[in-house]
Formats: sequence, C-alpha cells, structure tokens
Amino acid sequence: MTKTVYVAGVAALCLLGIGLHAIDAHAAGGDWKRGRVYYQKVCTDCHTAKAGGAIAPNARTMADWTAYLNADKHAKGKDSLRNYASREYRASVKGTNKAAEKYADVPDEQLFNDIRSFMLKGAKDGDSPASCN
Amino acid sequence: MARAYIFKRFERFWHWAQAALIIAMLLTGFEVHGSYRLFGWGRAAGLHTSVAWALIGLWLFAIFWHFTTGEWRQYLPTTDKLGAVLRYYLTGIFSDEPHPFRVTRLSKHNPAQRLAYLLVKVIINPLIWVSGLLYLYYNELGATGTVIASGLGLGAIALVHTAAAFLMLAFLIGHVYLATTGHTPLARVRAMITGWEQLADEPEPETRKIPAQGVST
Amino acid sequence: MGVRICSALAIAAMLVAAAAGGADDGASDKVLKSTSDHAKFKVLQQEFASGPEVTRACLTCHTEAARQLQLTQHWKWEFLNPDGRRLGKKSIINNFCTSVASNYAYCTTCHIGYGWKDDRFDFSVQENVDCLICHDTTGNYRKAPGFAGHVVTQETEFPPGSGNRLKPVKLGPIAQEVARTSRDNCGACHFFGGGGDGVKHGDLDSSLASPDKSLDVHMDALGNNFACATCHMTAGHQVPGSRYAPTAVDRGGARLRGKEYKTNPTTCQSCHGQAPHKAGAAKLNDHTDKVACQTCHIPAYARGGVPTKMSWDWSTAGLMGLDGKPMVRKDAKGRVVYTAAKGTFVIAENVVPEYVWFNGRVTYTLLGDRIEKGAQPTRINHFEGSAGDNRSMIWPVKVFRGKQAYDPLYKSLVVTHMAGTDDTAFWTNFNWEKAVAVGMASVGAPFSGKVDFVETESMWPITHMVAPAKDALRCHDCHASGARLEKVAGIYIPGRGSDHSVWLEVIGWALAALALAGALVHGTGRIAAARRRH
Repeated sequence: MTKTVYVAGVAALCLLGIGLHAIDAHAAGGDWKRGRVYYQKVCTDCHTAKAGGAIAPNARTMADWTAYLNADKHAKGKDSLRNYASREYRASVKGTNKAAEKYADVPDEQLFNDIRSFMLKGAKDGDSPASCN
Repeated sequence: MARAYIFKRFERFWHWAQAALIIAMLLTGFEVHGSYRLFGWGRAAGLHTSVAWALIGLWLFAIFWHFTTGEWRQYLPTTDKLGAVLRYYLTGIFSDEPHPFRVTRLSKHNPAQRLAYLLVKVIINPLIWVSGLLYLYYNELGATGTVIASGLGLGAIALVHTAAAFLMLAFLIGHVYLATTGHTPLARVRAMITGWEQLADEPEPETRKIPAQGVST
Repeated sequence: MGVRICSALAIAAMLVAAAAGGADDGASDKVLKSTSDHAKFKVLQQEFASGPEVTRACLTCHTEAARQLQLTQHWKWEFLNPDGRRLGKKSIINNFCTSVASNYAYCTTCHIGYGWKDDRFDFSVQENVDCLICHDTTGNYRKAPGFAGHVVTQETEFPPGSGNRLKPVKLGPIAQEVARTSRDNCGACHFFGGGGDGVKHGDLDSSLASPDKSLDVHMDALGNNFACATCHMTAGHQVPGSRYAPTAVDRGGARLRGKEYKTNPTTCQSCHGQAPHKAGAAKLNDHTDKVACQTCHIPAYARGGVPTKMSWDWSTAGLMGLDGKPMVRKDAKGRVVYTAAKGTFVIAENVVPEYVWFNGRVTYTLLGDRIEKGAQPTRINHFEGSAGDNRSMIWPVKVFRGKQAYDPLYKSLVVTHMAGTDDTAFWTNFNWEKAVAVGMASVGAPFSGKVDFVETESMWPITHMVAPAKDALRCHDCHASGARLEKVAGIYIPGRGSDHSVWLEVIGWALAALALAGALVHGTGRIAAARRRH
C-alpha cells in the first residue's frame, strides 16, 4: 500500500507538457533520454536513499502512470509531484545532485514532459519496458 | 683536558644532513624494493626520488668543499698504524688501552676510518648513484635504445642498486656502533655535533701542529 | 508586456535546449545541428509494412549508404585475420552460445539486416540493410529473436501456438525521428552480446546507456556524454575499433584536426597522447610504454550493477525439475545461474581483470582445428604477446571460461543447432547428439556421432567503463607481492618479491645482520670489560 503511494508520487512527477506541442513536433513527444537521466539520477536516487527503494517504470502500466501523473500527488498526497521537477526544487538540490544542476534551467513543463515520455515508454505495456537496470 | 676544533661548521652540517638523508633513502628504498610497507609504495617512491635529489645536491656541495679546502686528503689511505688500530678495536678496547691514534686537524680519521670512508666514497656511493640515476631515467634510456642494446634491463640495474643499498645499510650499522667507541660512549657524537674533539690528557706531538686558534684548554 | 515575457521565455527555452544538447544523444542536437527534419520528408510520411520498405525510402536520399554498409563487418560478420584465417561471427565457435551457423534466424536478430535466415542470404540486396537499428532515436525499434533480423509490424504469435504475442512496431514514426547513432543504438546489440545483458564483454552492458561519471568518465550522461561513435569515429559507415582488429599498442600522439591519420582512432592515445599525466604525477608517464591505459584506469569491470558471465558449463544442461519441466536455478539475489537449456553459469560484478601481454595479434581455435581434452583448456581465442617482443603492452582482459560440446573422436569443436522450433534444436529437445549432428551437417563438417565436453577459454579486452582518475589503480596495486600484476612475466616490477634475486636478499640481509650482531657482541664485551675494571 505504502509502496503504491510512493509509486504514485514518482509517477506524478511527469504530468506537464500539455501546452507544449505547439512549439515543435519533437518536443511534444518529450526528450525521453533527458527524462531517463532525471528519473534515474534525481527521482530514483532520492527514492533509494529516503523512500525505501527504486521504482522501475515497468512496475506499472501506461494507464497507471498517466493517472498518477495527472493526480499530481507525491508522498501520500502531502505535496505536489510537479514540485519535484520544478526549477525551485532543482535549485534546492543542485549542490548535491549533478542532474538537477545540469538541468537547472530547463523549463518545468518541458522537463516534466521529458520524464513523462520516459515513464510511459518504459511502462509495463509501454514501447520499451524499463527496469531499474 | 685539551680540546681541538676538528669538524667545521659545513662539515658537521654535511655529516648530519647526509645521515638523515641516507636513513630516509634506506627506509624508503627498501619499501620500494618490496621489503615492507611503511609510507605506502607511491609515497615511498616519491620520497625516495626527492631525497635522492637533495642528497645529490648536498654531495655536489660536499665535493666542492672537499676539493677547495683540501680536506679530500683526509681520505687518502694509509697503512701507518692500521694494524695497531685494528688490534685496538679487537682487543685493546676491552682492557682500556689508549687508542693508538691521535686525532688532529690535519688527520681527523684513524687509518681504519680512512679506509672505510674511502670505500664508501669510491665504491658504495658511485654504485648507488650510477645505478640510481639509471633506475630513475630508465625510460629515457629505453627510448634511446641503449638499454636494450646493452642488455641492461631494469632488473640488472635494480640488482646493483639493491646490492649497494645493502652495503650502505651494513656500513651505517657499523658506523653508528663505532661512534660509541670514544672515551665515553657519546664523546664522538658530541664532537660531531659541536666540532670540538676532547683530546687525551697527554698531548701527543701531533697536537702541536694544530693551529693556535683551533686549540683551547 | 505579455509578449515580451513570452519571447523572453522562448529565448530561454532555446538557450536551455542548446545547453542540454550534450545530455540527450539526439533530440536537441538534432534540432540545432541537423539540417534535415526527417518528419518533413514526404517519403517517410507513410505506414511501412516492413523494414526493407523503410530502407528503400532511406536510399532515395542516402544513395550510397547501403553499399557502404555492405562492406562492413557489421554486415558481413566476417573478418580476415592477419594470419590468413577467416574469422567473424559467421565462422567462429565461441564459448557462449557457441555458433551462429545453424542458428541464423535467432542470432541474426542482431544483424544489421533483414532476412538472414540461413546460409543462402543474399548479401548484395541493398534494401536488406537495416538503417533503423542504428539510427532510431525513439528507443522503440526492436527486432524479436527468431525472425532473422526482420522487424515485426503486425501482432504475431511466436513461437506459433505458444500464446506469446509480439507487439507490432510502428515504423513510420520511428523513421521520421532518425538521427545519428547513440549509445542506445549500439547497445541494443553490443550490451547484450552472449545472450543477455552484460553477459559477454563485462565492460559493455545496459548500465552504459545512461551512466554516471564513476562508471565511465567519457560516457557520463551528465558530463562528457560520449556516444560510441565519439571514439569509434565512423566515416562512410566504416566503424573502426573492432576487437577482431585490436590496436594493442599506439605510439602516436594526440590527434590534430586537419591531419590525416591511417591508424585506429579509438585508442586512448589518439586523444590523450603518450604523456597524459600532469607534472605532479610525471612518473606515471613512464608507464605508458608498457602498460595500457586501461590497466590502471579500469580497476574493475561490470561496475554498473549488471553482472557479467564469468564461466559457462554446458555439460550440465538438460536437467528437468520434479515437475518435468526444464529446470531453472537462481542465486540468492534471484539471478539465474542454471537453466536446462544452457547449463550452469557463474556471474559476477565488480570483477578485477586478469592481465596479459598483448601485441594486437589474436589466435583462434576454429572448427576443424585439432583439440585435445587435457589439463590445459582449449583456447577459443588467445591474445598473443610477451615482454620481450617490444610491441606488447600489459592489458586487462576478461577471461571467459567454458565447458562446451566437442567431438571426442574427430577432436574438434562443434557447431550445435541450438535454437529453433524443429525436433533437433537443443533448446527444444535437450539432445546433444541430434543437435550437433544437424549443426555439423549444416556447415558440411564431419561428425563422429559422439559428444563430449571440453574446457575452453576466451579472452575479451577490457576497454570501456573507464573510471575517474581518483578511482584509478594506486602504485601498490601492482608494486607489491601478490598484487595485480603478479603473474605478468618478463618485466621487473619494483616492489614485487618474485623479481628479487634470492642470493642478493640472503647475502644482503645476512650482511646487515652480521654488522648488527658484531656491534652487539662488541658492545656487550665493552660493557662487561668496563664493569670488571671498576
């Protein structure tokens, strides 16, 4: 049960990007490779250290992830998931996290969209299910 | 008791600096050789090289000093009283016989010392320096092809260097022990620190040769 | 006001895209650097029914690409060794799944082509070159085993009757997103060599898709972020740096622009030169004539959390469980260490390499070469070199040890028909004699009918997973007795006891001991004499 909520938390990281497709056809799909790096080096690192372990994208279906991402809830609903992909959050951890530092200035929605691309792609029923290795 | 100023300031500095550097070389050198672990191999090798350069520098000064002051003659070998000195250390010293040799400014080393230090200077040191520099610059030699051409591998260079180090170690042990054989165990060490040697009560004829300013009573 | 904020944001977004360009191996790079948006090409705006159809579309612009690729090892799976022997995946027997021959439809899943299902494949057909396996950026292009390298574009049950349904791959969107190759592309095959993630190489596995700096300083996703092609500098689709043609010794300097070089550009030296260490560590530069960079800078392989296979014993294959089904055994971490289809494995992470002299020549034991079952394992391949040949360096290697089928009467390695849905494939029927008979017949090689197992060894160069300088080996890792280079012969390594001259050690220490004993005895005598007198 608790785990599910954590999953929800991580999942919710990825919602935005809705307003983005006007800019560029590629951006609409999100840069899944950048999303992968953020998911691994920020989300997973923190979850491993503080929240009892990593959550593999292929642990959930695309529908599950979409629901989590839309709900925007993190840590059992205590805070917003989007917060964890926000520039404010990245600025707060960039001293200790190289990925947060490197992507410090990526617009929130763009990065969120990247992460979502990676999660949906890596979901259990996604185009290329991704484990934690 | 008469005192004579035997060891001049540079000489004393040279002696003690050299002692410290050689002990450091032995400690680090045998670690590089693989005999024990003390500083860690990398640090030992680094120290060994730095100390070697310091010692080479010191030696250049010492050689210059020896030749400009003529002190190099102190190491000319002599058989005069050699037998008597050796006999003294083998038997006489145990029955409190007087030392057959009197230290003077012009002849500060007894014939056995002359011989021992000469061996260090003409055999052990050149072996160490030549093999050590070859060791240090083995790569540069290798690049010129001379090492391969002469069949002089690093193993052979290291063998000579290690052999010389063993000789130096044996010398060091003997030298440190013999330093205690003055008329008191620390008399010679004191002389090497202050420069003033205590002379025996009966002044021998040689002491008269000591320049006046170098003698006090 | 509102407009100004918007344009400021747009500019910021562009700047960010530029800054992030290194991080993603593709998308942002493409927007900024490529002069083409493949999504805008009419020829790619269609639904493709098969891989070759996509290739035909690609070739309408990239007219020479297929012919370039058809010259490569990637296409031919063939390599002519300098000793005149014919190597390459197509011909050799290894000690993993042992042979491509007789198993084409499965092995050629990793061929850069479509349809190599048996030895009658036509290597001259241009549309059979697979562009997407190397140029896909979506990560969604994949080829399923058993289809001879073809991509599945319609939902398919495989094996037929198994109930296992393969999801179709939509080729249109993939074709519209193509770009230069990335680690994910090369990794799709090279991370999974030997039949699974990290199995074969040890220094190549999926952890390198997006590694951190401690795993690989060059591929660090948040740092240098090298693609494979950054070092394997490819021109005209000719990829340099094959392990079949290794460069063990590179005496050249760092390369300059504008100069032409004929040698392998994948070596460390081609960027770092011969004296890469800073003045404070200049002695390290004295090592570069004898020690490969990899020896110190790759302290261990399989460091990314993916284990690699260290040994593989085929002789235990074929066991059935109590339920009558092929047995599977796992270790404490849940990793498979036995399957009925493959036998027993030993897997390991953070493996310290073995070290050998290597001059770039590799010798192979091929099908038909006479082998003996004895104390020495048969060398599937062997890195040649010695301290004395003056063109060898000390290299880190993974030695992969196996026990595999051979013909005890004809004394040869064998081709085994492993994979297939027929009644002779070993993985379906667990009968060695049948599987080897079919395998050997497929290459026209004689087979006595008997199968026994022989111990084998193969060597793999360790050259990826370059650690940060702070994690490189320290002096004492080699300059000590029983250290990493203990078994490397023919060179004097200061600090290694086995290089000492025994007689010098004995005489030297005896001399020192004598001096000490003499001093003690003499001194004791003096003290005793003094006491007597007073």
